[in-house]
Amino acid sequence: MEQFELRAEKRTIIGKRVKGLRREGLVPAVLYGPKTEPIPIQCDRRELQRILARAGGTNLISLRIGDDGEPKMALAREVQRDAITNELYHVDFYQVVMTEKVKTDVSIIFTGQPPAVQQNMAMLLQGMDSVEVECLPGNLIHSIEVDLSTLGIDEAIYVRDLRVPDDVTILTDGDEVVAKVQRLRVAVEEEEEVEAAPGEVEVIAKGRAEEAEEAGAEEEKAEPAEDTA
Amino acid sequence: MLMPKRVKHRKAHRGRMKGKAGRGNEIAFGEFGLQALEPCWMTSRQIEAARRAIVRHVKRSGKLWIRVFPDKPVTAKPAETRMGSGKGNVDHWVAVVKPGRIIFEIAGVKEEAAREAMRLASHKLPIKTQFIARRDPITGGEGGR
Repeated sequence: MEQFELRAEKRTIIGKRVKGLRREGLVPAVLYGPKTEPIPIQCDRRELQRILARAGGTNLISLRIGDDGEPKMALAREVQRDAITNELYHVDFYQVVMTEKVKTDVSIIFTGQPPAVQQNMAMLLQGMDSVEVECLPGNLIHSIEVDLSTLGIDEAIYVRDLRVPDDVTILTDGDEVVAKVQRLRVAVEEEEEVEAAPGEVEVIAKGRAEEAEEAGAEEEKAEPAEDTA
Repeated sequence: MLMPKRVKHRKAHRGRMKGKAGRGNEIAFGEFGLQALEPCWMTSRQIEAARRAIVRHVKRSGKLWIRVFPDKPVTAKPAETRMGSGKGNVDHWVAVVKPGRIIFEIAGVKEEAAREAMRLASHKLPIKTQFIARRDPITGGEGGR
Protein backbone atom coordinates (compact mmCIF):
# COMPACT_ATOMS: atom_id res chain seq x y z
CA MET A 1 0.00 0.00 0.00
CA GLU A 2 1.25 3.47 -0.91
CA GLN A 3 2.32 5.77 1.95
CA PHE A 4 1.14 9.37 2.08
CA GLU A 5 2.60 12.04 4.33
CA LEU A 6 0.82 15.25 5.25
CA ARG A 7 2.13 18.14 7.32
CA ALA A 8 -0.31 19.94 9.62
CA GLU A 9 -0.24 22.53 12.38
CA LYS A 10 -2.20 22.61 15.63
CA ARG A 11 -5.14 24.98 15.29
CA THR A 12 -6.09 27.54 17.95
CA ILE A 13 -8.77 29.29 15.89
CA ILE A 14 -12.13 27.59 16.24
CA GLY A 15 -15.74 28.42 15.44
CA LYS A 16 -16.78 30.97 12.83
CA ARG A 17 -13.35 32.57 12.78
CA VAL A 18 -11.98 29.65 10.70
CA LYS A 19 -13.29 31.58 7.67
CA GLY A 20 -10.13 33.65 8.00
CA LEU A 21 -8.01 30.50 7.75
CA ARG A 22 -9.71 29.52 4.52
CA ARG A 23 -8.95 32.95 3.07
CA GLU A 24 -5.26 32.36 3.84
CA GLY A 25 -5.27 29.08 1.88
CA LEU A 26 -5.55 26.81 4.90
CA VAL A 27 -8.19 24.18 5.59
CA PRO A 28 -9.42 23.48 9.13
CA ALA A 29 -9.41 19.83 10.07
CA VAL A 30 -9.69 17.62 13.12
CA LEU A 31 -7.90 14.46 14.18
CA TYR A 32 -9.71 12.06 16.47
CA GLY A 33 -9.63 8.40 17.27
CA PRO A 34 -10.68 5.73 19.75
CA LYS A 35 -7.64 6.29 21.96
CA THR A 36 -6.94 10.01 21.48
CA GLU A 37 -8.60 13.30 22.37
CA PRO A 38 -9.76 15.31 19.32
CA ILE A 39 -7.04 17.70 18.10
CA PRO A 40 -8.07 20.67 15.93
CA ILE A 41 -5.50 21.07 13.13
CA GLN A 42 -5.01 23.08 9.96
CA CYS A 43 -3.41 22.03 6.66
CA ASP A 44 -2.29 23.72 3.49
CA ARG A 45 -5.20 23.51 1.01
CA ARG A 46 -3.16 22.56 -2.07
CA GLU A 47 -1.20 19.86 -0.32
CA LEU A 48 -4.32 18.46 1.33
CA GLN A 49 -6.18 18.42 -1.98
CA ARG A 50 -3.31 16.57 -3.65
CA ILE A 51 -3.05 13.98 -0.86
CA LEU A 52 -6.81 13.41 -0.64
CA ALA A 53 -7.10 12.94 -4.41
CA ARG A 54 -4.52 10.16 -4.30
CA ALA A 55 -5.20 8.58 -0.91
CA GLY A 56 -9.01 8.70 -0.85
CA GLY A 57 -10.66 7.26 2.22
CA THR A 58 -8.93 3.89 2.09
CA ASN A 59 -5.22 4.69 2.22
CA LEU A 60 -3.45 5.51 5.47
CA ILE A 61 -2.10 9.04 5.72
CA SER A 62 0.90 9.72 7.94
CA LEU A 63 -0.01 12.97 9.68
CA ARG A 64 2.88 15.02 11.10
CA ILE A 65 1.46 17.69 13.42
CA GLY A 66 3.81 20.62 14.07
CA ASP A 67 7.12 19.52 15.50
CA ASP A 68 5.63 16.57 17.41
CA GLY A 69 7.88 13.55 17.09
CA GLU A 70 5.72 10.62 16.05
CA PRO A 71 3.64 10.86 12.87
CA LYS A 72 0.03 9.74 13.41
CA MET A 73 -1.54 7.21 11.05
CA ALA A 74 -5.00 8.38 10.00
CA LEU A 75 -7.76 7.84 7.46
CA ALA A 76 -9.69 10.70 5.84
CA ARG A 77 -13.15 9.95 7.16
CA GLU A 78 -15.39 12.88 6.26
CA VAL A 79 -14.62 15.65 3.81
CA GLN A 80 -16.83 18.73 3.63
CA ARG A 81 -16.77 20.72 0.41
CA ASP A 82 -18.57 23.65 -1.12
CA ALA A 83 -21.41 22.17 -3.17
CA ILE A 84 -20.85 24.56 -6.10
CA THR A 85 -17.11 25.16 -6.26
CA ASN A 86 -16.05 21.80 -4.75
CA GLU A 87 -13.56 23.66 -2.54
CA LEU A 88 -12.46 22.03 0.71
CA TYR A 89 -14.19 23.28 3.89
CA HIS A 90 -13.18 20.82 6.57
CA VAL A 91 -11.70 17.35 6.89
CA ASP A 92 -12.10 14.72 9.61
CA PHE A 93 -9.09 12.46 10.12
CA TYR A 94 -9.60 9.25 12.05
CA GLN A 95 -6.49 8.10 13.89
CA VAL A 96 -6.34 4.33 13.56
CA VAL A 97 -4.99 1.77 15.98
CA MET A 98 -3.14 -0.74 13.82
CA THR A 99 -4.40 -3.71 15.88
CA GLU A 100 -8.07 -2.64 15.85
CA LYS A 101 -10.46 -3.13 12.97
CA VAL A 102 -11.78 -0.04 11.17
CA LYS A 103 -14.90 0.52 9.11
CA THR A 104 -14.63 2.48 5.89
CA ASP A 105 -16.25 2.87 2.49
CA VAL A 106 -14.47 1.27 -0.46
CA SER A 107 -15.38 2.42 -3.95
CA ILE A 108 -16.61 0.03 -6.62
CA ILE A 109 -14.98 0.27 -10.04
CA PHE A 110 -16.96 -1.02 -12.98
CA THR A 111 -15.14 -2.60 -15.91
CA GLY A 112 -16.55 -3.67 -19.26
CA GLN A 113 -20.00 -2.93 -20.63
CA PRO A 114 -22.97 -5.30 -20.84
CA PRO A 115 -23.60 -6.46 -24.45
CA ALA A 116 -27.26 -5.31 -24.35
CA VAL A 117 -26.17 -1.80 -23.37
CA GLN A 118 -23.70 -1.70 -26.24
CA GLN A 119 -26.51 -2.64 -28.64
CA ASN A 120 -28.79 0.08 -27.15
CA MET A 121 -31.35 -2.52 -26.08
CA ALA A 122 -31.00 -1.85 -22.37
CA MET A 123 -29.57 0.64 -19.92
CA LEU A 124 -27.21 0.13 -17.05
CA LEU A 125 -28.38 1.26 -13.62
CA GLN A 126 -25.70 1.53 -10.97
CA GLY A 127 -27.20 1.14 -7.53
CA MET A 128 -24.19 2.14 -5.46
CA ASP A 129 -20.67 3.38 -5.88
CA SER A 130 -19.16 2.15 -2.62
CA VAL A 131 -19.62 -0.51 0.05
CA GLU A 132 -18.79 -0.38 3.73
CA VAL A 133 -16.05 -2.80 4.77
CA GLU A 134 -14.40 -3.74 8.03
CA CYS A 135 -10.80 -4.87 8.39
CA LEU A 136 -7.48 -4.10 10.04
CA PRO A 137 -5.95 -0.82 8.81
CA GLY A 138 -3.04 -2.68 7.27
CA ASN A 139 -5.33 -4.86 5.14
CA LEU A 140 -7.44 -2.07 3.65
CA ILE A 141 -8.23 -2.36 -0.04
CA HIS A 142 -8.47 0.69 -2.28
CA SER A 143 -11.31 -0.44 -4.56
CA ILE A 144 -13.39 -3.43 -5.65
CA GLU A 145 -13.53 -4.23 -9.36
CA VAL A 146 -16.77 -5.48 -10.88
CA ASP A 147 -16.89 -6.91 -14.40
CA LEU A 148 -20.13 -6.00 -16.18
CA SER A 149 -19.37 -7.59 -19.55
CA THR A 150 -21.21 -10.83 -18.73
CA LEU A 151 -24.37 -9.17 -17.42
CA GLY A 152 -27.52 -9.95 -19.46
CA ILE A 153 -30.84 -8.11 -19.69
CA ASP A 154 -32.75 -7.96 -16.36
CA GLU A 155 -29.76 -9.45 -14.57
CA ALA A 156 -28.16 -7.75 -11.58
CA ILE A 157 -25.01 -7.89 -9.49
CA TYR A 158 -25.63 -7.84 -5.74
CA VAL A 159 -23.32 -6.94 -2.88
CA ARG A 160 -23.04 -10.67 -1.99
CA ASP A 161 -21.48 -11.28 -5.44
CA LEU A 162 -18.54 -8.96 -4.75
CA ARG A 163 -15.18 -10.67 -4.24
CA VAL A 164 -12.89 -9.31 -1.51
CA PRO A 165 -9.85 -10.77 0.31
CA ASP A 166 -10.63 -13.10 3.25
CA ASP A 167 -9.45 -10.62 5.90
CA VAL A 168 -11.90 -7.98 4.68
CA THR A 169 -15.59 -8.17 5.66
CA ILE A 170 -18.31 -6.37 3.73
CA LEU A 171 -20.84 -4.78 6.10
CA THR A 172 -23.31 -3.53 3.49
CA ASP A 173 -26.43 -5.72 3.15
CA GLY A 174 -25.75 -8.55 0.69
CA ASP A 175 -29.14 -8.15 -1.02
CA GLU A 176 -28.49 -4.60 -2.17
CA VAL A 177 -28.13 -4.11 -5.93
CA VAL A 178 -24.75 -2.91 -7.17
CA ALA A 179 -25.60 -2.76 -10.87
CA LYS A 180 -28.54 -3.83 -12.98
CA VAL A 181 -29.24 -4.03 -16.69
CA GLN A 182 -32.78 -2.82 -17.38
CA ARG A 183 -34.66 -3.24 -20.64
CA LEU A 184 -35.51 0.03 -22.34
CA ARG A 185 -39.15 1.07 -22.18
CA VAL A 186 -41.04 3.00 -24.84
CA ALA A 187 -41.25 6.64 -23.82
CA VAL A 188 -44.12 7.75 -26.10
CA GLU A 189 -46.83 6.60 -23.68
CA GLU A 190 -45.14 8.52 -20.90
CA GLU A 191 -45.41 11.79 -22.88
CA GLU A 192 -49.14 11.27 -23.43
CA GLU A 193 -49.72 10.57 -19.76
CA VAL A 194 -48.16 13.89 -18.83
CA GLU A 195 -50.38 15.71 -21.36
CA ALA A 196 -53.46 14.22 -19.68
CA ALA A 197 -52.56 15.67 -16.28
CA PRO A 198 -55.30 17.83 -14.71
CA GLY A 199 -55.19 21.55 -15.39
CA GLU A 200 -53.78 24.00 -12.89
CA VAL A 201 -57.01 25.74 -11.91
CA GLU A 202 -58.93 22.52 -11.52
CA VAL A 203 -56.41 21.03 -9.11
CA ILE A 204 -56.21 24.19 -7.02
CA ALA A 205 -59.99 24.21 -6.64
CA LYS A 206 -59.83 20.53 -5.68
CA GLY A 207 -57.16 21.28 -3.15
CA ARG A 208 -59.35 23.96 -1.63
CA ALA A 209 -62.35 21.62 -1.29
CA GLU A 210 -60.22 18.91 0.18
CA GLU A 211 -58.72 21.28 2.65
CA ALA A 212 -62.15 22.11 4.05
CA GLU A 213 -62.88 18.41 4.50
CA GLU A 214 -59.57 17.42 5.95
CA ALA A 215 -58.61 20.29 8.21
CA GLY A 216 -55.29 19.65 9.82
CA ALA A 217 -54.10 17.20 7.21
CA GLU A 218 -50.38 17.00 6.88
CA GLU A 219 -48.60 18.99 4.23
CA GLU A 220 -47.52 17.07 1.19
CA LYS A 221 -43.86 16.24 1.32
CA ALA A 222 -41.68 16.93 -1.69
CA GLU A 223 -40.05 13.74 -2.86
CA PRO A 224 -37.75 13.29 -5.85
CA ALA A 225 -39.91 12.33 -8.79
CA GLU A 226 -38.63 9.40 -10.81
CA ASP A 227 -39.08 9.28 -14.51
CA THR A 228 -38.00 6.97 -17.28
CA ALA A 229 -36.89 9.21 -20.07
CA MET B 1 -47.40 19.56 -14.28
CA LEU B 2 -46.11 19.02 -10.77
CA MET B 3 -48.14 20.32 -7.83
CA PRO B 4 -49.13 18.97 -4.41
CA LYS B 5 -52.19 16.73 -4.17
CA ARG B 6 -53.12 18.05 -0.74
CA VAL B 7 -51.91 21.04 1.22
CA LYS B 8 -52.23 22.07 4.83
CA HIS B 9 -52.59 25.77 4.03
CA ARG B 10 -54.02 27.18 0.82
CA LYS B 11 -51.77 30.27 0.68
CA ALA B 12 -48.23 30.82 1.92
CA HIS B 13 -45.98 33.70 2.89
CA ARG B 14 -43.29 34.69 0.41
CA GLY B 15 -40.36 33.91 2.70
CA ARG B 16 -36.67 34.58 2.00
CA MET B 17 -34.15 32.81 -0.20
CA LYS B 18 -30.97 33.45 1.79
CA GLY B 19 -27.90 31.27 1.60
CA LYS B 20 -27.01 28.15 -0.28
CA ALA B 21 -28.80 24.81 -0.50
CA GLY B 22 -27.89 22.77 2.57
CA ARG B 23 -29.66 19.68 1.28
CA GLY B 24 -30.18 18.21 -2.16
CA ASN B 25 -26.84 19.63 -3.27
CA GLU B 26 -25.19 16.33 -4.23
CA ILE B 27 -25.95 13.86 -6.95
CA ALA B 28 -27.77 11.06 -5.16
CA PHE B 29 -29.45 8.89 -7.79
CA GLY B 30 -28.01 9.39 -11.27
CA GLU B 31 -24.60 9.93 -12.85
CA PHE B 32 -24.96 13.50 -14.09
CA GLY B 33 -27.00 16.44 -12.92
CA LEU B 34 -27.98 20.05 -13.40
CA GLN B 35 -27.12 22.31 -10.48
CA ALA B 36 -28.58 25.74 -9.72
CA LEU B 37 -26.09 28.59 -9.33
CA GLU B 38 -28.64 31.27 -8.35
CA PRO B 39 -31.69 31.42 -6.10
CA CYS B 40 -35.14 31.50 -7.69
CA TRP B 41 -38.76 30.48 -7.52
CA MET B 42 -38.95 27.77 -10.16
CA THR B 43 -42.48 27.34 -11.45
CA SER B 44 -44.02 23.99 -12.28
CA ARG B 45 -44.22 25.13 -15.93
CA GLN B 46 -40.50 25.75 -16.06
CA ILE B 47 -39.74 22.39 -14.47
CA GLU B 48 -42.05 20.64 -16.91
CA ALA B 49 -40.59 22.46 -19.93
CA ALA B 50 -37.06 21.54 -18.86
CA ARG B 51 -38.09 17.94 -18.22
CA ARG B 52 -39.58 17.69 -21.70
CA ALA B 53 -36.45 19.14 -23.25
CA ILE B 54 -34.37 16.43 -21.55
CA VAL B 55 -36.73 13.57 -22.42
CA ARG B 56 -36.96 14.74 -26.03
CA HIS B 57 -33.19 14.84 -26.39
CA VAL B 58 -32.31 11.51 -24.77
CA LYS B 59 -35.27 9.81 -26.52
CA ARG B 60 -35.83 6.35 -25.09
CA SER B 61 -32.64 5.89 -23.18
CA GLY B 62 -31.75 6.85 -19.63
CA LYS B 63 -33.54 7.48 -16.41
CA LEU B 64 -34.39 10.93 -15.13
CA TRP B 65 -34.92 12.21 -11.59
CA ILE B 66 -36.53 15.56 -10.79
CA ARG B 67 -35.03 16.71 -7.50
CA VAL B 68 -37.21 19.78 -6.91
CA PHE B 69 -40.94 19.88 -6.23
CA PRO B 70 -43.14 22.97 -6.57
CA ASP B 71 -44.93 22.90 -3.22
CA LYS B 72 -45.21 26.66 -2.60
CA PRO B 73 -48.40 28.40 -3.81
CA VAL B 74 -48.04 31.83 -5.41
CA THR B 75 -51.09 34.08 -5.46
CA ALA B 76 -52.03 36.84 -7.90
CA LYS B 77 -54.85 39.35 -8.11
CA PRO B 78 -56.96 39.46 -11.28
CA ALA B 79 -56.18 42.17 -13.85
CA GLU B 80 -57.69 45.62 -13.35
CA THR B 81 -58.58 44.99 -9.71
CA ARG B 82 -58.28 47.70 -7.08
CA MET B 83 -55.79 47.09 -4.31
CA GLY B 84 -57.01 45.74 -0.99
CA SER B 85 -59.72 43.23 -0.13
CA GLY B 86 -57.30 40.53 0.87
CA LYS B 87 -54.78 38.21 -0.72
CA GLY B 88 -55.34 37.07 -4.30
CA ASN B 89 -56.11 33.57 -5.54
CA VAL B 90 -53.52 30.85 -6.00
CA ASP B 91 -52.08 31.38 -9.48
CA HIS B 92 -49.29 28.83 -9.76
CA TRP B 93 -46.90 26.65 -7.78
CA VAL B 94 -43.19 27.15 -7.35
CA ALA B 95 -40.19 25.34 -5.89
CA VAL B 96 -37.83 27.48 -3.84
CA VAL B 97 -34.41 26.80 -5.34
CA LYS B 98 -31.19 27.98 -3.70
CA PRO B 99 -27.67 27.98 -5.18
CA GLY B 100 -26.17 24.50 -5.15
CA ARG B 101 -29.48 22.65 -5.46
CA ILE B 102 -29.52 19.73 -7.90
CA ILE B 103 -32.56 20.21 -10.14
CA PHE B 104 -32.34 17.16 -12.42
CA GLU B 105 -30.33 13.96 -12.39
CA ILE B 106 -29.89 11.53 -15.23
CA ALA B 107 -28.42 8.04 -15.57
CA GLY B 108 -28.01 5.47 -18.31
CA VAL B 109 -26.85 7.90 -21.02
CA LYS B 110 -23.43 8.95 -22.27
CA GLU B 111 -21.90 12.12 -20.90
CA GLU B 112 -22.20 14.05 -24.19
CA ALA B 113 -25.92 13.22 -24.46
CA ALA B 114 -26.51 14.14 -20.81
CA ARG B 115 -24.57 17.39 -21.20
CA GLU B 116 -26.56 18.41 -24.27
CA ALA B 117 -29.89 17.45 -22.64
CA MET B 118 -29.05 19.52 -19.58
CA ARG B 119 -27.97 22.45 -21.77
CA LEU B 120 -31.33 22.38 -23.54
CA ALA B 121 -33.12 22.13 -20.20
CA SER B 122 -31.15 25.04 -18.75
CA HIS B 123 -32.61 27.32 -21.43
CA LYS B 124 -36.08 26.65 -19.98
CA LEU B 125 -35.04 27.73 -16.50
CA PRO B 126 -34.87 31.27 -15.06
CA ILE B 127 -31.39 30.93 -13.52
CA LYS B 128 -27.79 30.13 -14.33
CA THR B 129 -27.00 26.45 -13.90
CA GLN B 130 -24.04 24.13 -14.26
CA PHE B 131 -23.70 20.56 -15.46
CA ILE B 132 -22.03 18.30 -12.92
CA ALA B 133 -21.01 14.68 -12.73
CA ARG B 134 -21.14 12.50 -9.65
CA ARG B 135 -18.20 13.21 -7.34
CA ASP B 136 -16.33 10.95 -5.00
CA PRO B 137 -17.09 12.20 -1.45
CA ILE B 138 -13.48 11.96 -0.25
CA THR B 139 -11.33 12.78 -3.26
CA GLY B 140 -13.83 15.22 -4.77
CA GLY B 141 -12.96 13.88 -8.19
CA GLU B 142 -15.56 13.20 -10.85
CA GLY B 143 -16.68 9.73 -11.82
CA GLY B 144 -17.38 8.35 -8.38
CA ARG B 145 -19.33 5.65 -10.17
